[in-house]
Amino acid sequence: MGVTVGVPRALLYYLYYPMWHTFFEELGAGVVVSKATNKRILDLGVKATVDEACLPVKVFHGHVLDLAEDGDVDFIFIPRIVSTERRAYICPKFMGLPDMVRNNIRPLPPILDTCIDLSKGDAGYWRAIFDLGRQLGARPSRVRKAYNLAVSRLKEFDRALEAGRLPDEAMHSMGLETGIVTGTGTRGAGAGSPAPQNGLPQDSLLRGGRAEAEAAAGGDGDGLSIAVLGHPYNTYDNYISMSIIPRLRDMGVRVVTAEMIPEEITEAASQRLRKRLFWTLGRRLLGAALHFIENGGIDGCLYVSSFGCGPDSLVGELIERRVKREGAFPFMMVTIDEQTGEAGVVTRLEAFVDMIRRGRAV
Amino acid sequence: MRGYIGVDVGSVSTNVVAIDDEGNVIDKVYLRTQGQPIKVVQEGLRAIAAKCSDIEIAGAGTTGSGRRLASVIVGADCVKNEITAHAVAASHVVPGVQTVLEIGGQDSKIIILRNGVVIDFAMNTVCAAGTGSFLDHQATRLNIPIEQFGDLALKAEVPVRIAGRCAVFAESDMIHKQQMGHRIEDIVCGLCEALVRNYLNNVGKGKDILPPIVFQGGVAANAGMKRAFEKALGETVIVPEHYNVMGAIGAAILAAEEVKRRGTGTLFRGFDVVDEEFEARSFECKGCPNRCEVINIIRDGDTIARWGDRCGKWEAL
Repeated sequence: MGVTVGVPRALLYYLYYPMWHTFFEELGAGVVVSKATNKRILDLGVKATVDEACLPVKVFHGHVLDLAEDGDVDFIFIPRIVSTERRAYICPKFMGLPDMVRNNIRPLPPILDTCIDLSKGDAGYWRAIFDLGRQLGARPSRVRKAYNLAVSRLKEFDRALEAGRLPDEAMHSMGLETGIVTGTGTRGAGAGSPAPQNGLPQDSLLRGGRAEAEAAAGGDGDGLSIAVLGHPYNTYDNYISMSIIPRLRDMGVRVVTAEMIPEEITEAASQRLRKRLFWTLGRRLLGAALHFIENGGIDGCLYVSSFGCGPDSLVGELIERRVKREGAFPFMMVTIDEQTGEAGVVTRLEAFVDMIRRGRAV
Repeated sequence: MRGYIGVDVGSVSTNVVAIDDEGNVIDKVYLRTQGQPIKVVQEGLRAIAAKCSDIEIAGAGTTGSGRRLASVIVGADCVKNEITAHAVAASHVVPGVQTVLEIGGQDSKIIILRNGVVIDFAMNTVCAAGTGSFLDHQATRLNIPIEQFGDLALKAEVPVRIAGRCAVFAESDMIHKQQMGHRIEDIVCGLCEALVRNYLNNVGKGKDILPPIVFQGGVAANAGMKRAFEKALGETVIVPEHYNVMGAIGAAILAAEEVKRRGTGTLFRGFDVVDEEFEARSFECKGCPNRCEVINIIRDGDTIARWGDRCGKWEAL
């Protein structure tokens, strides 16, 4: 077929990319991912989006523009993901994502769009998948095969995350070259130069997947473990999160995220809540927090929230209250927004790690 | 006699202290940063040097938002964030302290300690309504020297209610009350109460504020703020003697700890640094779309430090 599908490196990319990549590749399409988030992508996104959208949605628009500008893609993949399980939903902004992009950005390559809504069961699910394949000119039999393979790759990815890898590292270990770190333009130079003392997020990623994952899994230094919770598109995007995870690792901290805890465990833990949370992503975070409260294993917990996020305002609060009530471990909420001044985040991170370390020493 | 230097470079003030082995303050300097941190750090050290002629400086520490810059100038043994520094200083001055309220120029924080250990803290997030810069601005607008602001608040008879949620709204509220004919003392007192309300709702949200409570930072000079805190919390609030240089005291104590732990000599470069030529030059890196603003710190013609880049390629000299 020879068509190329562009995938924005934003939002659900961090949870599903291996699946999408495999699916499109099996259908004979090439797959291109937008660059790692950088200042330009953020600026483009902020300009293109309505003001009241949240930061990750603005960043998503920036990535769409990045793909559109490169001009190498025939389609941009923007699925309408309403729900991925019964009676639970993804944030409403995802429901309107293709429409939002279509109305905010013109001209644009054609959008590959399909509606995934499993909230009332999987009746229409296969039709949505076939529909997606048809837009690329593939027959149902081929689509089915591609889909099954894609799902098995996704499971492989999830296992890699559970082994303590970050999404980029997990994709790397699966041989999915996502062109990471192109954002700095220093891929070669960065790897060759002597490692500076601290604050080298991109370098940490370059080493990613290999020594890094092992070091992270085993931990080093005094074996401090900190859970970094938050929507994956905030915690794993090193530009907008101001490299919280790489910074913690540089301080010798082992980082644990919700995705590293198997879903069965977070799901079981989340049922301790009186009412089932109907946000899929939020329930995972809450489940992870409740799991840590019950079973320990971490010395502190950070919650990364983007300013103006509806679900975070409830889920973050719920987690904070639970943690404080049980007196389980130190907790800190870090709010991220469009600002580029890193001082605030760095000071808070340092103080948080200091607090735990000094507390242990006594 | 041995001494330790602490430098706290904040957005509004830069403080330098020298302490002895017991943590007693030998001398302190409180200066306005006025956008020239390098010059002010040198000035502060010069003032301290005059009192330290017979003291051997065994360690130096820096803190505050300009801690990194200050560390390359003085040669710091320890570069620490201001939360840790303030907590350490408060526990030193008031052993057993359980709550530290700190309000500085551009940020405010609360630190919760139990048994001498920090167990929780918070800093103001998106709002600077309750900080020193805002009080400064209002004092200027009302043509009251900031030093008299607090005493004026104490003279209030009927404090007026001012919206403390937002600096912009607070200001328009104050203007409104002033045009209605309220006494200036009552307005100033109302402002203090509004700031305290804002602080407790914002920074102190959900925190277990137990005595002893220490109030420090530049704003602690304001007796009106102290009284407003006591009224809101129903507890005595302690303002330590050196309330406005607590960060620097903490940095000096941490430096003393670090030097002892390490067992090697200090990295302090001596008081001669006050006469060296420091210069900061910046450029925009064009290596990628991030366009980072990279800062070069130059001493007598040599680049001694560089930062500001996200990827770290300029950090190695």
